[in-house]
Amino acid sequence: MKKFIAIGLTVLTLAMLLTGCNTKKGDKVFKHGFDLDYPPYSYIDDNGEVGGFDVELCKAVCEYNGWTYEAVPFNWDAKDAELNAGNCDCIWSGFTRNGREDDYTWSMSYSDNTQMIMVPDGSDIVTLEDLAGKKVGVQTATSAYDLLQDSEEGQGELCATFDSLEIYDTYTIAFNDLQAGGIDAIAIDVTSGNFLMSSNAGYHFLDEVLGSEQYAIGFRKGDTELCEQVNTALQALVDNGTYDAIGQKYPDIYEFLCLKPADAQ
Amino acid sequence: MTFGTMLTTMAEGMLKTILLFVLTLVGSLPLGMLVVFLKKSKFKPVAWLTDIYIAIMRGTPLMLQLLVWYFGPYYLFGMSIRGYKFPALLIGFIMNYAAYFAEIYRSGIDSMPVGQYEAAEILGYTKLQTFMRIILPQVIKRILPSVTNEVITLVKDTSLASALAYAEVFSLAKQISASQTSFLPFVIAGVFYFVANYVVAWIMNRIEKSMQYYK
Repeated sequence: MKKFIAIGLTVLTLAMLLTGCNTKKGDKVFKHGFDLDYPPYSYIDDNGEVGGFDVELCKAVCEYNGWTYEAVPFNWDAKDAELNAGNCDCIWSGFTRNGREDDYTWSMSYSDNTQMIMVPDGSDIVTLEDLAGKKVGVQTATSAYDLLQDSEEGQGELCATFDSLEIYDTYTIAFNDLQAGGIDAIAIDVTSGNFLMSSNAGYHFLDEVLGSEQYAIGFRKGDTELCEQVNTALQALVDNGTYDAIGQKYPDIYEFLCLKPADAQ
Repeated sequence: MTFGTMLTTMAEGMLKTILLFVLTLVGSLPLGMLVVFLKKSKFKPVAWLTDIYIAIMRGTPLMLQLLVWYFGPYYLFGMSIRGYKFPALLIGFIMNYAAYFAEIYRSGIDSMPVGQYEAAEILGYTKLQTFMRIILPQVIKRILPSVTNEVITLVKDTSLASALAYAEVFSLAKQISASQTSFLPFVIAGVFYFVANYVVAWIMNRIEKSMQYYK
């Protein structure tokens, strides 16, 4: 394994040498790593451009710190490889810190998040217990997925009562399958669920909550300096109202934004 | 998660990969032959339709085809697609690979000299006998290397089944890698694929050798 790391680092260094020639000194580029398929935090907007709450907030942080913003959309499964390889400076894409506390250096949490069960209107599923013997869909490598796999602190026991847990690459396909009747329910973050339901009528969440947690920005473990710079900028943006202004553009998640101005704390 | 658990979980995924692989081969190898006959049909509309089928199968991404096979019945006819996932995967893979195999078979059949057909006719062979006893054995010998190529590609293409939440080995690698924040599952998956393809190549090589009846 050490050899692999050594080879990886060598390749990385060479890549940096080659690309580094183009960057001017003192002009810091902040590479924002995110999933391009995670609305409303990061996605392709109606104009076909990279948008979302996280993208706008990150741009604001960069502007505040005088950095050049660079978008690094990645495949969610490859996020750790991308971060460790230095292709991006952070994972900032509706990224759950709970359960991953020791794996990254974390910024302050900027959004609450809850996992819910989404079912079609008229479904006979009313409580979590009703999910026994049903087919439930989830996107791989999401907090809802982690929650259902965790038997100690999560909902692993509940998951064991399902007929099957169908694991999709994206929630888009999972939702298609729910629409088509291939599965009975979807376990999903409330924010992503709200986004799906905002453009598709006929679905609702169960009243019972599956789990709850916080979103934060994950930096490479030990990258505390960068993390502090972002934290300072974030607090400043909260104090001057930028955070709130960006949040208001995203009604699906506005109520979950949890940062407060310094004088209100 | 211990290394042992990781390995056993992924081995289960590999079994699902192999199941999909074997069933696809069993379905697409014969179907490919049928497609060649349709393509060579004297009744032109059938030949044209077959051409269109091959063009679509080769001209669009397999992942897209899988989504269409699975969701198509619902979006087109409003049918329930419950429990239809694995059949949809099989249909998608078999239809796609049959098109490729058909073209490989065709290349083999077309490479046979006309003289052989003429000689067979003079010797009193019927058309079916000519094909089954004279042409086909030579065709199989000739196309084996191309078929091996395609079969090896199929082993790797099974990873596209993750598009429909089929828990084959590569989807599992992605899932475990994400939950364990480790790159190791990808390395394990790589080894699994390599070993599987090594076995495939070895078997195909043996078949090739057994057919070298002129040496």
